[in-house]
Amino acid sequence: MQQDVYINALGTFLPGPPVSNAEMEDYLGRINGENSRNRAPVLRQNKIKTRHYAVDKSGRANTTSAQMASNAIKNAAQNAEISLRDISYLATSSTLGDILVPGLASHVHAELGLPPIEIANFQSVCASSLMALKSAWLQLKTGQHQCAAVSGSELASRYFQPGFYECVPEIKSQKSIPLDADFLRFTLSDGAGAAILENRPNTGQPSLKILWIDIRSYADRFDTCMIAGGVKDTSGTHIWSHYESPVKAAEAGAFILRQDFSLMHKMIPVWVSHYLDLIDQKKIVIEEIDYFCSHYSSHSLRVEAVDLLKKSGALIDEEKWFTNLYTKGNTGTASIFIILEELYREKNLQKGQKILCHVPESGRAMNGLMLLEVK
Amino acid sequence: MNTMNSEEVTRGLIKVWADFSSRLDKVPILEKLARGKFRLEDYKLLLMNHRQQVVEGGRWIARAASSIDDRYFDMRSKFMQHCVTEHRDFRMLEDNYVSIGGKREDIQNGEKNIGTEALNAFMFHRASQPNPLELLGSMFIIEGLGQNKAGEWGRAIRDQLKLEDKQVSFFLYHAEHDDGHMEEFDEALNSGILGIENMGRDIIKTAKITARLYQLQLEEIGNV
Repeated sequence: MQQDVYINALGTFLPGPPVSNAEMEDYLGRINGENSRNRAPVLRQNKIKTRHYAVDKSGRANTTSAQMASNAIKNAAQNAEISLRDISYLATSSTLGDILVPGLASHVHAELGLPPIEIANFQSVCASSLMALKSAWLQLKTGQHQCAAVSGSELASRYFQPGFYECVPEIKSQKSIPLDADFLRFTLSDGAGAAILENRPNTGQPSLKILWIDIRSYADRFDTCMIAGGVKDTSGTHIWSHYESPVKAAEAGAFILRQDFSLMHKMIPVWVSHYLDLIDQKKIVIEEIDYFCSHYSSHSLRVEAVDLLKKSGALIDEEKWFTNLYTKGNTGTASIFIILEELYREKNLQKGQKILCHVPESGRAMNGLMLLEVK
Repeated sequence: MNTMNSEEVTRGLIKVWADFSSRLDKVPILEKLARGKFRLEDYKLLLMNHRQQVVEGGRWIARAASSIDDRYFDMRSKFMQHCVTEHRDFRMLEDNYVSIGGKREDIQNGEKNIGTEALNAFMFHRASQPNPLELLGSMFIIEGLGQNKAGEWGRAIRDQLKLEDKQVSFFLYHAEHDDGHMEEFDEALNSGILGIENMGRDIIKTAKITARLYQLQLEEIGNV
């Protein structure tokens, strides 16, 4: 028999103090010793004001993605009507774990200090958060487990240090860095978020019942848009491990995280189309939505999408949009948890209210939506 | 009775557009353009093939207008006005062709590729039916290309082949001048025609067919 599943608590871990726009390069470092020319234009587009970094001003990371995920889960468990040891299923999500092998979930399990449990690791970009949530939802729904922890964690700032760029001779000699490589330095930041799921509602605080999670990939028609571990050029993608050595791959720029914006903008119609499809299927009823938590990566994308939505009668009143992108930064897979945690804490959620969560992913074109009902 | 409101129809059309536009980059000639490997002969071939469809555009719209009876008099006016703005466009393609070294008589005597044949046959067939207002779905796709894709293609062709604006004027012109067409389209959808049984559904389906056949035309470039 299928069981109802609830997000019963949320937690976050944001490393260090909030970092202002002016201080960003103190943490990320200055490539070739120079201030980036791309910083101001990128920040004007995404409108982020503060974020957190797990690196200090010397650029050294003082924690790991696994530790941050574990801290966020512990924080969520503190907020939940369970003890940490009630967790028997752990699903982690991240764009990139701490090491190449083995997967992040094992390390998060170890950090949590829990006895043997079932684990699963989801690696993509932002939408892996919903993949992890969906796996936990189904595990509980089918009665495999009673209590699950789900995390999203990112430590992007370590890849944004000057050394990752200056090993590429063209960047070192030209004294400037291409926008596709610099863009994400001023977009992404660090943090972790987590949710505790149970197959029963809370007794003393609101629960968020998961009504459905719908994820769709459009990789059949889109090339890679956000890439690390490979170099894309007109002849294709050159994979880092196919170079004669990791050093050669690094010199070719294979370890730089890049974003192809023109391709990202082409994805807006398919992201919108997935959402419209769910409206036509009556899974989303606009008038019923009380909060819309969208993890858009940049304010400018929001503006573009709103236009398309207005025309098709699919725009959720902008007063119902809830985000903390501008203060907590874009933390990739962690973002949706961090947004939901603040919503849960700050808003006086009422029984019957519906929360629509949206996580688009430009990586290779994916879109995810999740509908929650306050119980 | 099956009727849809304009928002439902717009949702359907955006979904068709999203599916169509996101597949276009996989069409060989456009995939090559996206890779930055376009040759002048690719552009010549594109113009040659495109002209054979565009030259028919004014004709099928005029045919459609003549198939609209007086109950939908205002729509007939719109079709006729639209026809006037479109029916000289193919000359621009011919000029672009000549500007890159092609012979005018070659492009004027060019043959439709097998995809264009299918697209054209469908358009004329529909335009010949009584009150073919569902052709608004075709206009949505074709105008959408002008507004959202033509500029991207025109700029990419110009930059890769180091051409001047006037040599890619057909694409650049449509990117700049098709802005108002979508508003006219919204007006048409809200003019009351959606009260006609199945009209919303038929507009969406016609858009879907047009998109598929348009893609076929691009896939079959040079296949005559």
